[in-house]
Amino acid sequence: MGGVEDDEPASKRMKLSSEELRRLSNGSTIKEPVAGSSRDLMARPLQSEGGEEVVGSKGVIKKVEFVRIIAKALYSLGYIKSGAHLEEESGIPLHSSVVNVFMRQILEGNWDESVVTLRNIGLTDERTVKSASFLILEQKFFELLDEEKAMDALNTLRTEIAPLGVNDSRVRELSSYIVSPSYCSLTRSPKQDTVRARSRSKLLEELQKLLPATVMVPEGRLEHLVEQALVLQRDACMFHNSLDKEMSLYSDHQCGRDQIPSQALQVYETGVSLKHKLSGHQKPLSSVSWSPDDRQLLTCGAEEVVRLWDVSSGECLHVYEKTGLGMVSCGWSPDGKWIFSGLNDKSICMWELDGKELECWKGQRTLKISDLEITGDGKQIISICRETAILLLDREAKVERFIEEDQTITSFSLSRDSRFLLINLLNQEIHLWNIEGDPKLVSKYRGHKRTRFIIRSCFGGLEQAFIASGSEDSLVYIWHRGTGELIETLPGHSGAVNCVSWNPANPHMLASASDDRTIRIWGLNNLSTKRKEPCSNGIHYCNGVY
Amino acid sequence: MGRIFMITLEGRIYSCKHCFTHLALLDDIISKSFHCGHGKAYLFDKVVNITEGEKEERMMMTGLHTVVDIFCVGCGSIVGWKYEAAHEKAQKYKEGKFILERFKVLGPDGGNYLAIQESLVGGSSDADDA
Repeated sequence: MGGVEDDEPASKRMKLSSEELRRLSNGSTIKEPVAGSSRDLMARPLQSEGGEEVVGSKGVIKKVEFVRIIAKALYSLGYIKSGAHLEEESGIPLHSSVVNVFMRQILEGNWDESVVTLRNIGLTDERTVKSASFLILEQKFFELLDEEKAMDALNTLRTEIAPLGVNDSRVRELSSYIVSPSYCSLTRSPKQDTVRARSRSKLLEELQKLLPATVMVPEGRLEHLVEQALVLQRDACMFHNSLDKEMSLYSDHQCGRDQIPSQALQVYETGVSLKHKLSGHQKPLSSVSWSPDDRQLLTCGAEEVVRLWDVSSGECLHVYEKTGLGMVSCGWSPDGKWIFSGLNDKSICMWELDGKELECWKGQRTLKISDLEITGDGKQIISICRETAILLLDREAKVERFIEEDQTITSFSLSRDSRFLLINLLNQEIHLWNIEGDPKLVSKYRGHKRTRFIIRSCFGGLEQAFIASGSEDSLVYIWHRGTGELIETLPGHSGAVNCVSWNPANPHMLASASDDRTIRIWGLNNLSTKRKEPCSNGIHYCNGVY
Repeated sequence: MGRIFMITLEGRIYSCKHCFTHLALLDDIISKSFHCGHGKAYLFDKVVNITEGEKEERMMMTGLHTVVDIFCVGCGSIVGWKYEAAHEKAQKYKEGKFILERFKVLGPDGGNYLAIQESLVGGSSDADDA
């Protein structure tokens, strides 16, 4: 009823006045033609309940505020004439006349008068008045020093600035500038030796920030609101996976499904693109981990030893073991200098690459089935320490934090920025936790199937905005991380999909490994955007090679 | 095959007699007075490393119950059942608890259990009117 399209240009928008609305609701029609003089085509604002005029279909934008920030934006863009014309035509001044006088006095350096004018503006908060006065007089002080009128400056400091009772430590600083001008070069202008007053327009900017927004419209306010809207649109876009998509103001941003990998580009059956066969383990492998420089590989046999391999030669460089014990997991420090490993006596050990054992954390730190991750700063070791708990061990500060779940934890994955942990649970849920400070549960993802196997999930896509997981129903599942919505299920495998890995360099490429003995590389559905990129470091984890 | 997720128990363990997968602890036994087609069965508070079958309504010695069969995650053999719901108030204590058939598991002492071949009509039996 009286509905208005928001995306029509403002000049064509016709809002009905409350009179006309009443007439329409009575069943009568508007006899007068809508088209006509340009005055009729102007946006006629509705009356809000408070009596203030509003614009926009939701009645939340106050007209006076709207016009003032537009005027401010015009001035910022340099369109002085347009800004002035807007003020005149709308009858809404950007600043009250007092404020205009104030601003002029600042720019002309009439300090004493500006302080008086400041009081006339009618600010209610005495502290703001004092702080603003302080800034103005501080400027006066520095300009006097610049003109080498040290006595006048001292006078100002003593009789005008100090009595304000604001920022006493700064007052002491200022007094020291009188004595040694070079002292301030450390704090004010590091490149210059002498005291320099900053520009008056800079002072005006500072005052603008200090004074309430209704008195002086903040700089860049309209731009900020528009950016906020764009960011909200981008965050709500569930398929946002491409930097190429520029955001436009003309229409709400919405990516299509075509930004998510959904088509199997390649299917690898084991043996086809084999570079090296790394033999040596006696037991099945429980985990595989690439070195940070991608040149070496750590492999862990199930309750056996950990081996270090050179990727280009296929040679086994080292075997890490502890007599009487078996290793269950392995990981790298982010600088590639140390190896970590979980053992089947529940402890975690750390070695240098040459095999020298550096440290060992005993006690209930890890389980026989547990992943091991090290955060990007090298400080935290993450492992499953109890059926329903994950240990975050700060190895330097010797501090332990725990994530407690209600269900049994089967596997987990660390985000690239080391701030979030993705936990797979026995009951087919995936939980996202924020691990900065006190761990907090952020989101839950559901839909995939898990009853017998360790199924792995991972972060992926542009800015890791997506969560991908394997599933026992042979599908690859992809959720939008922010909203938790399931956005894609990829069919193709003919067996349980055990793990997935999203290419960290290419947000449009995903790899999955399945019980059907194949590895699938997934890419965009659009053939023209298919890029031939080497799948380096595409697969971080192996569920287990039998 | 994928890597089976298996919990390792500590203590006095009952395990699958075919593949030795850990299933439950002696400390979690609620009652030893249950019966099944193959003889004795124990009611456990908690059982791990199992997958569940489809829900079924089954008439037991103590009345109608909604149960799911449970299977060892390692080898897939059936090891007992879980009570999802009991239709009579007196039997509600069984809800959420598990039955392991003694014949299907190895006891903490490693001992096997010779089945008493009772030909009972209707499969599982029940009992223990605690």
